[in-house]
Amino acid sequence: MNEPRCRAWTIAALLIALPAALLIACAVGTVPLPAAGVLRALAGAAGLGAPDGGLGDVGQTILWNVRLPRVILAALVGGGLAVVGAALQSVFRNPMADSGLLGVGPGAALGAVLAVHLGWAARVFLALPLSAFVGAMVATLAVYGLSRLAGRTTLSGLLLTGLAVSALASAGTSILLVASDEFRVKAVLFWLAGGLEGRGWAHVESAAVLIVLGVLTLMALSRVLDVLALGETEAQALGLPVTVARLGILAAAAAIAGAATAAAGSVPFVGLIAAHALRPLVGPRGRHLLPATFLAGALLVVLADLGARTLDLRIELPLGSLTSVVGAPYFLLALRGARERE
Amino acid sequence: MSIVLEADELRVYRGRVCVLADVSFALHAGEALALVGPNAAGKSTLVRALAGLLPVAHGAVRLQGRCLAGWARDALARTVALVTSEEEGPTLLTVRERVVLGRYPHRGPFRRMGADDDAAVAQALEETGIAALADRQIGRLSAGERQLAALARGLAQQPRVLLLDEPAAHLDIGHQLRLFRVLDAIRSRGVAVLAVIHDLQRAVDWAERIVLLVHGRIAADAAPDQVLADPACAEAFGVSVSAHPAADRTHPFYAFE
Repeated sequence: MNEPRCRAWTIAALLIALPAALLIACAVGTVPLPAAGVLRALAGAAGLGAPDGGLGDVGQTILWNVRLPRVILAALVGGGLAVVGAALQSVFRNPMADSGLLGVGPGAALGAVLAVHLGWAARVFLALPLSAFVGAMVATLAVYGLSRLAGRTTLSGLLLTGLAVSALASAGTSILLVASDEFRVKAVLFWLAGGLEGRGWAHVESAAVLIVLGVLTLMALSRVLDVLALGETEAQALGLPVTVARLGILAAAAAIAGAATAAAGSVPFVGLIAAHALRPLVGPRGRHLLPATFLAGALLVVLADLGARTLDLRIELPLGSLTSVVGAPYFLLALRGARERE
Repeated sequence: MSIVLEADELRVYRGRVCVLADVSFALHAGEALALVGPNAAGKSTLVRALAGLLPVAHGAVRLQGRCLAGWARDALARTVALVTSEEEGPTLLTVRERVVLGRYPHRGPFRRMGADDDAAVAQALEETGIAALADRQIGRLSAGERQLAALARGLAQQPRVLLLDEPAAHLDIGHQLRLFRVLDAIRSRGVAVLAVIHDLQRAVDWAERIVLLVHGRIAADAAPDQVLADPACAEAFGVSVSAHPAADRTHPFYAFE
């Protein structure tokens, strides 16, 4: 299949699959809701037909206060992290880059935990995602700077630096949580393994601000990403201020990763899988890759979260563990492919 | 011929090592200049300094009479194009997408492709003879075709000066001849071409002038046969050079021992 047709089919498939997954995720759960009723209720809220949709009061409450905010948040977090993965892969010129692997996610978690520990999160609006953003940015800059100390950034050098920074940030997170008065196993699990349990509209609002702004910024800069992916010499020779461009993109990526982590904890591998899998299908250019990865990442996390709350009806599985169960084998396969090409 | 690009007592450091010292020479419009020299002579550094990519410790590079420091990045990239042999863009890009990125200095991050952009891309693909490969992915090209795609990206910038770092590296003889024919066609439009060339015979046959760089300094700057006859050339490469004139050739064949 030629490239434009393959791209069109892929994006069309994602545009069908994502709303379908959103609908299923709203319908399925401990209390199942009829999909047709969910659809009618959503249409009703949009001013089409009866607002009730035949779900009844309990059904309405579950849909509007429990399921829908959670599903929308899953889509935002997944889409955002996927776009971050695609952007990081261009900046580091490395198809294996991912916010979790490069310390961005763990850095964001550390920032968020610090905000909780110091009590800012409860007092100031957006303090949690902003602290997570700062944590993500510090981790990103550390990996970026350290991996460049030796001159050229190699695949293994980058991944090892990311590993070290991630381990350091996760260690900091664990220590802070253990030192906190309100220490609970659940809190540690949330920040280290991710989850969307009990997330409501307030979380959606505070996450959406930074995620939507960040994603739109990266999409607007998609041509800059394309030029950066050509390498430092060529990007400079084409007149791009490389350092400023890289820092700007890393800042937008850290803002998204920060907001996503503040809302859902660590959700690793989403960026790696979505961007890595879609690049051969939609091409490497940002203007196609970023929107497509957003849809794919959203799909992935909506389904993962659906799995997290329905695979075992007695307990909720950690979301980040589920994405890791899928992501780690994918990463190993992709790494083998990359090594063979090298 | 008017001077387009000029190095004036150029000194460039990489880290603490002085890679170029007191390099002065001029490149004229439409000229074919070959930059030769042994490994680690500073050729790639000189080419990058001429493109404005490296900080200059002393002296200056002047483009159309104006110091490079006084040029805006995009205006500079519209006037000087640099093509290296070590380019490693995403292998999934198609040739056309790669060449379109050569319009970045003209379009910036936001402007859509205009008629002039389309025309420049089409001309670059046509001149390099790879229009038929336009929709193929870079990763599926041979090394020679990839080099031509990189050159096409440089041409799409519509520069007045084309700087090439080892354009003939990895190329078979057929692709080499094609590449240098392409360069001659570009020069006929008044574009100055400076190429780092390892094959001295190729440099003699193609260039109008050769600059010999040794240990970061210019050891010779003259017509090709004069440079090859200069004892500095034999000394620089640690070989003996002998010329063997042939009746039907402008330049003699050279033997190196």
